[in-house]
Amino acid sequence: MPMSFRALNAWLVAACALAIGSAIGGGTAMIESAVRPWKVGDFAPAAFQPPDGSDAPQVDVAQTHHAFGTIGAGTEGSHDFVIGNTGTVPLRLSRGATSCSCTVSDFEVSDGATDTTTKEVAPGATTKVLLKWRGKGSGGPFRQQATIFTNDPRRTEIVFVIEGTVVPTWKAVPESIVLSKLSSTSGEKATARIFTFGKEPPVIGELSTEGPQASQFFSLSSSALEPHEIAAETGATGGFLLRVDVRPGMPLGPLRDRIQIPLRMPEEITAELLIEGTVAGDLALAGTAWDSSRQALLLGTISSKAGAHTELFLTAKGPHRDAVQPVVREVLPKSLEVVVGKGKPIGSGSVIRIPITITIPPDSPPSNHLCSQQALAGRIVLDTGHPDTPTLTIPVCIAIGP
Amino acid sequence: MLKYLRFFVSVFRTSSCAAASALLLAAAQAAVASPVDRGPDVTDSVVNTFSQRNGTIFQGWPTPQAMIVLTGELDGYIEPCGCTGKENQKGGLSRRQNFLRAVSASDWPVLAVDLGGQVRRFGRQSEVKFQSIADGLRAMGYSAVGFGPDDLRLPAEELVAAVAAVGAQPTPFVSANVGLLGVDANITPRFRVVEVGGLRIGITSVLGDKEASQIRNDSIEILPAAKALASVAAELKKANCSHQILLSWATPEETKMLAKLYPQFDFVVTAGGADEPPAHLMVIPETASQKGKAFLIELGHKGMFAVAIGLFDDKATPLRSQRVPLDARWGESGDMIRLLSAYQNQLESLGLTGLGLVPIRHPTGRRFAGSAACADCHKEAYEVWAESPHAKALTTLEEQSPRRDSDPECLSCHVVGWAPQRYEPFEGGYAGMGTTPHLAHQGCENCHGPAAAHGAVERGDVRASVIERDRLRQELVLSIDTPDGKQRAMNNCLECHDLDNSPAFDFETYWPQIDHSEPKPAPKQTALETAGGTARGTPIEGRK
Repeated sequence: MPMSFRALNAWLVAACALAIGSAIGGGTAMIESAVRPWKVGDFAPAAFQPPDGSDAPQVDVAQTHHAFGTIGAGTEGSHDFVIGNTGTVPLRLSRGATSCSCTVSDFEVSDGATDTTTKEVAPGATTKVLLKWRGKGSGGPFRQQATIFTNDPRRTEIVFVIEGTVVPTWKAVPESIVLSKLSSTSGEKATARIFTFGKEPPVIGELSTEGPQASQFFSLSSSALEPHEIAAETGATGGFLLRVDVRPGMPLGPLRDRIQIPLRMPEEITAELLIEGTVAGDLALAGTAWDSSRQALLLGTISSKAGAHTELFLTAKGPHRDAVQPVVREVLPKSLEVVVGKGKPIGSGSVIRIPITITIPPDSPPSNHLCSQQALAGRIVLDTGHPDTPTLTIPVCIAIGP
Repeated sequence: MLKYLRFFVSVFRTSSCAAASALLLAAAQAAVASPVDRGPDVTDSVVNTFSQRNGTIFQGWPTPQAMIVLTGELDGYIEPCGCTGKENQKGGLSRRQNFLRAVSASDWPVLAVDLGGQVRRFGRQSEVKFQSIADGLRAMGYSAVGFGPDDLRLPAEELVAAVAAVGAQPTPFVSANVGLLGVDANITPRFRVVEVGGLRIGITSVLGDKEASQIRNDSIEILPAAKALASVAAELKKANCSHQILLSWATPEETKMLAKLYPQFDFVVTAGGADEPPAHLMVIPETASQKGKAFLIELGHKGMFAVAIGLFDDKATPLRSQRVPLDARWGESGDMIRLLSAYQNQLESLGLTGLGLVPIRHPTGRRFAGSAACADCHKEAYEVWAESPHAKALTTLEEQSPRRDSDPECLSCHVVGWAPQRYEPFEGGYAGMGTTPHLAHQGCENCHGPAAAHGAVERGDVRASVIERDRLRQELVLSIDTPDGKQRAMNNCLECHDLDNSPAFDFETYWPQIDHSEPKPAPKQTALETAGGTARGTPIEGRK
């Protein structure tokens, strides 16, 4: 039967709409992305609403958290959690993952059962879940958890948590001695408290350093901590204060050594404490545009029309810090305006901070000092007032364009 | 885009094409409902596996008014170690960015805040790493970042370069009591107020006094925490915030004390907690903030988790929380992979010398020969080794993208002659493929000890007495036949197969895969024996 004009028209419109719609939809997807972004909802199954009156298992757990107090490093602990089924059909449990290999969960093994990763609990019955853990070596707060999946629609996951404190064999506070910027001219003193957790207070052997060079500059000593200081460290049975005096004159560069501390408590161990830092000169520069790897001020390409502005800080430490009062001797490119501010002490005053404001005024003439072979670096030369470093040259990488 | 489609449909409707317009809408929507972009490696199987392993997340959450994402204590883990399957490890900036993107893509207004503690070590590598992480946090749109104690042990000038405002972009770093180059230098603000989802959220951070007393960095001023918070808390009170966050790098006890002093903070993030955060937020006892409760938040270590707090315009449930395991479900973010590449490139440019790595003396004082030197006499053992993953250890670093073969934190377990837990080379250890290709991969001497002298004597290159020869042999023997020997062997393994890098390591399972026990070799007649007690050649290094 021939199709009426009206019906044909409807089909044409529908086909046309389909084609246009697909094109628009496809285009939209292509414009926005070939695929839609990963969303939080992709991880979140809708909350389950149990049907009223239907048969279901029901998890009954009185305790999901166990505080074990303290445990020695490397020793094992364990705890039984109990899961009951107050529902009307069997509760199926399956072992989920534990938070790390320190913690394992296992079901109570039924007679003849070989699979300990799943368990069925009859209505009205209970089962045990055993969690084991091993105290990590470095000590401190410890928390692990194990997940059990269930077929209870109201509670598909049970998370059991064990937590407490692991007591190490020994502990240093701080964990290492870091002398961030050690002045080569003035030396430094540092301390660390060493706590021990053995049966007896420690007998300390001869202190030494690993590196032969450092022993020339380090002086090591120790003294017992007061009982109240030891008591403040959970589980500590002994402790002493380690003192390190670093004599002036260490060569500039990285400092990295280990202090070796023989201990008898009564088992014999050698504790090692890392001492590290940088032995630096008394003057240092800091600022957003300061590149410490290249030791240069990186200003990049500046529009002559707009100009630019940046701030550097010169820090001075050591015995001559108060003598440092920089004066600008030379700048390149000459259009740089450099203003040295007044020095201010930082914190306790062992370091003086001197602001240096650098301005490229608008309409500065073009120049190229981008620190390449073709365009040598610009510079700011300061007379510092420091007797050992009377002149400080700051390389400046800059191009001033139109 | 759907708005325009609906408009188009409405036009169709006005032209009496209702059926057609319905078809159009269906077709268009079908075309728009494209697959989810969750990265090439994040299959349904991965999502299911890690949901089972680490739990489901955001189950039953409605759309929040705003979501606060709290991170911190990265401890230098800019990425999780991939030694034995990165997919089994949690953490890393790359997954973190994808998580934040997923939240934003869900139209959940998000505020990202970090406690600090980006690095755990000192030295040039940590400086470069801190800069990279700071760049990453900026790229992720963090609104506030605090400082951890090891961050503040880095040279102040490096910190200033990393954290200071860049042009018009303000620094995300904030601290009430830490002032790089002095508090009055104003390198970082003391607090920040951010608007998100129509809420005003005030944020500040402090470094606890105990931690501050252990920092010896004269170019950084650290004020007493409680005193410094007084003025900042007063400013925040005036700022008409709906919620306030305190990032406290201190022990939980110190943090609770600060929370009690300043009960205006709703969320108080603390350091010093356990390896992983608790499943639920903890209420700080005896503290009543403006809205009734202050919560103490632990973040766990190594950046393995983010803690998300949803704020809801719902009197019955104004708040939900979720600890978010940053596992393989989140996939990798191209931006952060590029950041990691730049970081690795910097390490390569600096080289071991530029990173300040000075070779340390091996406890034995001996030198390394390389695994190939063992092959002549210990043929069977060498063949076992050559077939094992140990013999490809450096290759695995070279083949990664970005490659990690210039990263001391990776190299130390992938070459011969480094101290694995110290990330330092021993004297004569691997120094690069250019100069020490024979020390590539995880070789024999990392367990048995440096064998250059032993090899030289056995080859007859040096003079040695029979006693010395036997002593050198004996020093390299590592037998698992005795409890002491087995313990020594296991300790060696654990230097690299530690909890971070090889959480599933079990000696009894792993050892059979590389078992190269050999019967005690019959004494070999060497040149020294034929020459009546000594051999020709030069003396053994370091011995008279």
